[in-house]
Amino acid sequence: MMSEGNDQKLREFLKSHVPRADTEPKRDLWPLVLRRLERPAPRRVLWFDWALAGAVLAGILLFPKTVSVLLYHM
Amino acid sequence: MDRHPYIRAYMAGIFLPTLGLLIALSAFILVRLVMQLPMPIERAIAFPMAIVPNLWGVWNMVYVRVRQNHSWKIGLHGLLLLLIVGPLGYCVGRLTSVLEASAQGLVYFGAIRLDYAHFVIGILIGAGIYYLAWKYVVNFLNELLGIA
Repeated sequence: MMSEGNDQKLREFLKSHVPRADTEPKRDLWPLVLRRLERPAPRRVLWFDWALAGAVLAGILLFPKTVSVLLYHM
Repeated sequence: MDRHPYIRAYMAGIFLPTLGLLIALSAFILVRLVMQLPMPIERAIAFPMAIVPNLWGVWNMVYVRVRQNHSWKIGLHGLLLLLIVGPLGYCVGRLTSVLEASAQGLVYFGAIRLDYAHFVIGILIGAGIYYLAWKYVVNFLNELLGIA
């Protein structure tokens, strides 16, 4: 009985001295959730494409004369 | 976002070659004015400036049309464009005397000699560039404009 009284006092003390926790969001978060769901997954570059890009770069560096062809035809 | 998908496809298609044109034009001007090479820039620039960006735009419109009914890889689609751009560039080059063909190889702009082995290497490099450009850049722009 004594303990229950102490608990009640402690509860009231805490309520009066500790500010209420702000549990409500300050704005509507649902549009953010929708935007996140609609966002496409980050694109992964395949190893083949990395190799191809490296080969293209190496080709241009090894055969700089071909750059004129590329500039004209592309 | 369902309005005018072909206009958006055209705009997404011409974006990259239009940017590339600035690089090509800068290179042509550098060679002609700074390095003083007698290059027929007026005739040489006609193909990359007038034809290539429009071809990219139209080719992307074709891609959007094909994708409505079939599953089709955009990298492969871009690669096929080279089959049009390459021969067309050759024909325009010959007609405007920008490109001369001989038994030893090709002469671009009356100044740059290229044997056929280097020409084939150039085509392969171009094929790689087209494939990657369409797969990543044009596809990204299509997604951005809501037509992917």
